Amino acid sequence: MSELMKIQENLRETARKLLANGEASLVIGYALGSEVSRVVPAFISREDEVDRLVWNPLCINNLAKYLLDYRHEPGKVAVVVKGCDSRAIIRLLQDNQITREKVIILGIPCPGLINPDLVAARLDPGAQITVAAVSKQDFSLQTGEGTFTFTRDEALLKKCRDCEQHTPVIADFMLGEEIPPNDPGDPFVAVKTLEELPVEERSAYWDKQFSRCLRCYACRNVCPACTCRECVFDQAEPCWVAKANNLPENTAFHLIRAFHVAGRCVDCGECERVCPVNIPLSLLNRKILKDMKDLFNVPTPGTSLEELPPLGAFTKSDPDEFM
Amino acid sequence: MKAYTITRDNLGAWLDALARDYTLIAPVREEESVSLFKPVSGFAEINLGYTNSTVSPKGWLFPQTEEMFFFSTGGDQITLADAQTPGPAVLFGLRPCDIKGILALDPVFNGAYQDCYYQKRRQDTILVGLSCTRVERDCFCTSMGGGPTDGGGADLLLTEIDGGYGIEVLTPRGEKLVNRYQQYFDADRENRVIPAREELGKKLAGHFTRNVDTTGLKEFLDQHFELPYWGELARRCLGCGICTYICPTCHCFDIFDQSPDGESGVRSRCWDSCMFSHFTRMAGGHNPRPTQKERVRNRFLHKLKYHRDRYNLDGCVGCGRCVTRCPVNIDIRQIIADLQEVARHE
Repeated sequence: MSELMKIQENLRETARKLLANGEASLVIGYALGSEVSRVVPAFISREDEVDRLVWNPLCINNLAKYLLDYRHEPGKVAVVVKGCDSRAIIRLLQDNQITREKVIILGIPCPGLINPDLVAARLDPGAQITVAAVSKQDFSLQTGEGTFTFTRDEALLKKCRDCEQHTPVIADFMLGEEIPPNDPGDPFVAVKTLEELPVEERSAYWDKQFSRCLRCYACRNVCPACTCRECVFDQAEPCWVAKANNLPENTAFHLIRAFHVAGRCVDCGECERVCPVNIPLSLLNRKILKDMKDLFNVPTPGTSLEELPPLGAFTKSDPDEFM
Repeated sequence: MKAYTITRDNLGAWLDALARDYTLIAPVREEESVSLFKPVSGFAEINLGYTNSTVSPKGWLFPQTEEMFFFSTGGDQITLADAQTPGPAVLFGLRPCDIKGILALDPVFNGAYQDCYYQKRRQDTILVGLSCTRVERDCFCTSMGGGPTDGGGADLLLTEIDGGYGIEVLTPRGEKLVNRYQQYFDADRENRVIPAREELGKKLAGHFTRNVDTTGLKEFLDQHFELPYWGELARRCLGCGICTYICPTCHCFDIFDQSPDGESGVRSRCWDSCMFSHFTRMAGGHNPRPTQKERVRNRFLHKLKYHRDRYNLDGCVGCGRCVTRCPVNIDIRQIIADLQEVARHE
């Protein structure tokens, strides 16, 4: 049995026990979606539904944010997290958005995910993945029609290319063998390339990106660092950013959002993944991430529960040249 | 109806001429896997190989942000001034589903209630359709009464044929446009344009990977407003506006004023989304659609029931955009299938 399938078994058994003994009232995980290339967030509250839970390289969504929807429930909620998603759990804990005692973290060491578009291009949409495996070289997906192999270089999902932690940094149940962090190289290559451009070119680059923003707010809604009860962009009075869709307002939206999550963005890559018009939002957030690292010498936010967000904590060694 | 042919070279020259004489709106490849309808200055900017633009072309007739009028106050007087309107335009390269999308907007803005802004743009805009040559994986127009080569509703319909394009004239306005640029066209002497399009339509009809059946669904929904299904579906909804903003038939808007000095400014309207929590929030704070369940239900009832109640038209044209872009796989095709299943068990 592949490691992925062992994890899936383990996940279903763990979920079954948690629901059976009443320890959890809900398990948030992944289930098959409307097509072979799609997996959906699933909300399982009955034992007889746990076999809907799947673990395969298409389990892309960061499920941590759904915890906010259930924070006032009386029972405990269990949630499936990958390495990147687990940083979001720490984000929510540090921001006092969720209570540690009320969350059961089902950690899955994730070897990397596959670009669903490539799966959709090769597999029959109605097929069902029965077995999945990931090796250092490739992804392999088995359906009723055979086994399909994708080379890792070509098929690895963009947000996984600079993966920092395959294994969750926090978990109550670790459902698979720990995967040591690999050296992803320099995650800031693209940021540095852009930084080196003259200011006019940098400005033109972002103007082109922001001008096609639809202001659908998918980036905000999916973001585990965006937890305000009333978002500044939804306020009518005072109106900080107008509803009008144009370059100045769109730019204001993106820059304000980037600064609001500065030092709190866990670099999960979901904002960029969900953007319907492919705005490279990770590049924007990573610029701030890079500055934070340069200024405060801190790990990526959410890496450790003890490491407080540098802009949310005070130490005597903080740089104070602006004072 | 008359048909013509045009060579590839002449098509380029014709589009350059259209860009000179009209505001020409056409599909542009903006980024990898992002194509948008935008004003262009000539053929070179246009990407006719696109299958489905990322955002529907409705934005030309119903812009995301549209200035309605300017106002200024002085003493006890208020002075209003019209906003600028764009004038004659050609919306070029519309896929058949998007033409149907415009037909679904017409009775909203141009029916019993005449919306002067939409009406003006609609009147001033010539619609040139373009038959599909490929079926994308999320396309399901044939399930919603359309088809990849059904250009009904456009003024002209282009179809790729050997050596160039065939052009069918569908309205007198289309005829006038062809006549104005007749030097670029050849008469369809061998009568090959219509058969070629029909042949293409038949071929593509077999390429749809998923068909849905809405038979009886509206009647079921007429009787069943409360279904546990909506609550289940809404749990994963992020409450973003992707589906509504890229949709060719969604048409909700908000009206707002911008006035830096409080004395003069502009009143505009902009797209709004029933997926947003504040969409139905009232001044006193009450929200009649308090959770995502009510919002998700509203959107799909609008597509599958309300639009049909009001205009006897489907509120969905099967373009598949929302299916492709929804980050949590809320798939209207699956919803239709699921609701049919729910109906069978009622």
